Amino acid sequence: MNFKKYFVKSSVAVAVVAAATFSAGAALAECASDALPGEMAKPDGYPARALTMVVPYGPAGGSGQVAQAMAKAVSDLTGVSINRDHKPGGSGTVGMTAYMATPADGYTVLEHIDDAASAHALDSGRPNPSEALIPLVTSQITFSQIYIRTDEDRYTDWASFVDWVKAQDGKATIANVSKEGSMERVTMKFITDATGMQIQQISFDKGAPRYGALAGGQVDALFEQPGDVRKFLDAGKFKPILTILKEAPEAFADVPSLTDAGLDFEPLLRFRGFYVKAGTPDDRVAWLQWAFQKAFCEDSYQQYNESKFMNLIDSFRDTDGSKELITSTIAQYRDVYKQMGLEIK
Amino acid sequence: MSKLRTGHIVEVAFWLLLVLFFFVYSFEFNQDIEIYKYGAAMWPRAILLLIAIAAIGQLLDQRRNGDRSSSNTMAKAHEDSAQESDNSSLGWYVSTFILLAIPFIYMVLPEKAASLMSVTDIAPGEAGIGRVKIICAAVLFAIYLMFSWRNHVGAILALPIFFAALLEDMGFYALAPVFIVGIMILMGERRINRMAMIMPFLYGLLMLFFVKLLYVGLPTGNVRPFYDFGNWVVTLLQ
Amino acid sequence: METFNNFLGGTAALFGDPMGVLIFFGGVIGGMLFGAIPGVSMLTLAAILLPFTAHLSAEHGIMLFSVIYCTGVYGGAITAILFNIPGAPENAPTAFDGYPMTLQGKAGKAVGAAVMCSAIGGVVSCIIMMIATAPIADWAISAFGPPEIFALVFFGLAVAASVGAKTFWKGWLSIMIGLMIAVVGLDPVGGIERYNFDMPYLAAGIHFIPTILGFFAVSEIFVQAEKKATGSYTAPKLSVDFPTFKELWAHKIAVVRSIIIGFFCGILPGIGATLAAFMGYNEAARWSKDRMEFGKGKLEGVISSETANNAATGAAMIPLLALGLPGGALTAMMVGVFQMHDMEPGPLVFINSPDLVWVVFAAMFFANVSILLVGFLEAKTIVNLLRIPFQFLAPMILLLATVGAYAVRGLTIDVVVMFVAGVAGFFLRRSGYSVAGIVLGLILGKIGEQTFAQAMQMLHFEFTGFFNRPIALGLLIAGALTILGSIYGAFFKKQPVPASDN
Repeated sequence: MNFKKYFVKSSVAVAVVAAATFSAGAALAECASDALPGEMAKPDGYPARALTMVVPYGPAGGSGQVAQAMAKAVSDLTGVSINRDHKPGGSGTVGMTAYMATPADGYTVLEHIDDAASAHALDSGRPNPSEALIPLVTSQITFSQIYIRTDEDRYTDWASFVDWVKAQDGKATIANVSKEGSMERVTMKFITDATGMQIQQISFDKGAPRYGALAGGQVDALFEQPGDVRKFLDAGKFKPILTILKEAPEAFADVPSLTDAGLDFEPLLRFRGFYVKAGTPDDRVAWLQWAFQKAFCEDSYQQYNESKFMNLIDSFRDTDGSKELITSTIAQYRDVYKQMGLEIK
Repeated sequence: MSKLRTGHIVEVAFWLLLVLFFFVYSFEFNQDIEIYKYGAAMWPRAILLLIAIAAIGQLLDQRRNGDRSSSNTMAKAHEDSAQESDNSSLGWYVSTFILLAIPFIYMVLPEKAASLMSVTDIAPGEAGIGRVKIICAAVLFAIYLMFSWRNHVGAILALPIFFAALLEDMGFYALAPVFIVGIMILMGERRINRMAMIMPFLYGLLMLFFVKLLYVGLPTGNVRPFYDFGNWVVTLLQ
Repeated sequence: METFNNFLGGTAALFGDPMGVLIFFGGVIGGMLFGAIPGVSMLTLAAILLPFTAHLSAEHGIMLFSVIYCTGVYGGAITAILFNIPGAPENAPTAFDGYPMTLQGKAGKAVGAAVMCSAIGGVVSCIIMMIATAPIADWAISAFGPPEIFALVFFGLAVAASVGAKTFWKGWLSIMIGLMIAVVGLDPVGGIERYNFDMPYLAAGIHFIPTILGFFAVSEIFVQAEKKATGSYTAPKLSVDFPTFKELWAHKIAVVRSIIIGFFCGILPGIGATLAAFMGYNEAARWSKDRMEFGKGKLEGVISSETANNAATGAAMIPLLALGLPGGALTAMMVGVFQMHDMEPGPLVFINSPDLVWVVFAAMFFANVSILLVGFLEAKTIVNLLRIPFQFLAPMILLLATVGAYAVRGLTIDVVVMFVAGVAGFFLRRSGYSVAGIVLGLILGKIGEQTFAQAMQMLHFEFTGFFNRPIALGLLIAGALTILGSIYGAFFKKQPVPASDN
């Protein structure tokens, strides 16, 4: 039995079901890369074989899922199959190291997230994703929120939460990730500094236990991105009390934004994108750029992004846009790290 | 009355030296963590303390009771393979150590050699460093052969690690046939036509099952021509 | 009665769906096959299949893994008996008596007993699981936070340190080595790299699957190879002479005892099944009239260990489904399957998807039943592997293990780790330390440190906070008493003490 054929079929079925569930439509009307041509000649027969996509995270998390959705979209568009190669560990550094050792022939591409930029900001020995790599597309950009349980009665919104936390004298808790200098931890620092509240962060390195801790009442609040806790939001178990953006997006219009809450700092974003190694022949890079940017507008990919709340703010950047985003992110993190007194290498 | 033997002293010394080494190394990462006052080094240090206590406890226990035949019923089963072998002289340990070190030398040598020989395109995966890696692997393999001639058991222990160390650069597809033959020879097989039959059979079986049927992505290697060979095999099968 | 109706519902859902039936039998045969091929194990199969489960429905994916779990634990017994290579740590005690039986030409009897006892232990355990999981889950959602889980891990390690190695001190040292290996990689609070020795790949930490493969499969090859090199290798004798019903009936008490031990140990996270097998074996030896015969090829040893580890399979599902705590390597991968479908194992599963739970329960029940039917057939075929000369079998096993180690995370460092563990295991086997203890320490070390840090953060770095959490406190005290008892035993008993006198 040929497994691959079967799995391709079944994933099509899954996509159809997904399309029915997430009332498709609205987001499909206009798409960022619609202007690109629908086909592009393969330069000198490249790619002559399947591409490999290195994913420096496991298949289950946000990166694993976006890699799967994008690989499927690119394959549907071009007919070139993509094998995903998951190399999880070390907060994405291990997969990056393995990727940097592969030949720059355009047959191996990389999925990575903003952690690559912040890692470079902290230690310039780590590859700079806008120089050592060529961004093909940034296909997900999202923001963070603070969540509480829906049935919580000690506080019900941001203002009452801040008051309650202050009254606890540093004993209130919030679940967060376990990486110093990460987007999540830096943002929490911004928030505590701006509000003057003291809150103990509890570190969880995996998503599921982090959400379980809030659901089970082990912690008082949770820091997360909306796409990752969508199930809990749809089920009415969690509710956001603060959106960490200057302006609230329409879908969360009734949740206070930074401006509404009177917090003054530049919000950090989570973004995921696809890269190829610098030094890859130009015509191959051009073909890959076309394929990945065009695939962003495939229906299956758009539906996936919608299901992860990735359609709430502009989630698309082409190569130049991605480089800009990465460069400004690195500069922003450098500033923050210096202020925090972290040692920058 | 003391029932200690030299072996017991060596054992406790080994543990205490290990504890000391890891304790000293823990200062490398002894950073403060803003939200956790114990920092990154507390947990390993606590374990090291417990290891030290247990090692000393064991020494006291042995001083008092010697090597008790067993303290629970599973002891005998644990000794199933503990037959004394003649491979325990100092010379044997030294040559085994050298054999086992070869793979780890390979992990650091090519970069060092390349910078010495001023190979310019040192970026990993490029042609220059690729050639250096092939030369290093060949030289180390020759050294391996030299030592394995006299130390059969050491050779068996070291070959798989050497194979594993080469995997990232040379790839599974190219190395596996060599590895199969190597292990067969080390296990005492000498009939060439038998090996010539078995090797392609085992290799083919693995490839069909994992690559063709289950689509497992095995390492193709990063160094040419191994990289091209690995991809050729994958394309052929999939 | 409600339980029975739910079970019927699950059965109907399982066999009413052709795709489900296909996956069920695929899992049964795959688990047995991978469990029984030396060098790979059910863990290898699970690791290979993990990424593919994204394409299956959540129900099918989790059902597949639970079926592989049941049949794989049985399959691992076959390699333990025939080659002294336990398919998973929980099969290790099976090898203590099973392998000597093979050497004596009684492989068939041992394998036959393993088939019968695995099925019995598994079926009984499944029934208890179906009755007990839901009420435990209801209670656990708010009762078990990081402090309780840390206390449970501590208790588990304390018990594990007291069994399994030659002396208490060696058991303790073995566990501690495992805990130390678990420290390599990123720390669970700040993401700071520890003990990376300037090797970038070590930031990923050391995974338990290559370590298990190295300690058990690879080191066994090395031992056999050394025997070959020194000329003391003897090929195992082949037999397909199965035990009679009478022979098995004689051990009925051992079976019942092992089921009880297996089930209660199985509930402990991280070490459940392994501890169950060791304890089942230990107790059998302790209660036996001729305990000196254990380890020399006694059928009762195989029976007690195999019954206990299969009895633990159902029990291990309880902490997984009720608390989201994996009971071992395979259940840890099941967490991955859940997450791949955006679900979270834990009490919420019972609320959000009760149908899934009952399909899985039904599948596990029938997987254990099918061990009886397919197992005998398979056992007759698989013993023929012994006919393959060792010099051809060895490279195959080593390469299969290479694939198995690499497939988990796609990192070649894992293959290096596996072979280094193989060499370490080769030397450790001579010394009375427990490789199973090291593996336990490694698996539980990460959970232990993480939950300790979380507990301290939650309790504001005051140990007295444990006094307000009675469950955590009780487990901590039980663990401390276990350790003190063993230290007392180690210091103040002069005679070679069988565990029975403690």
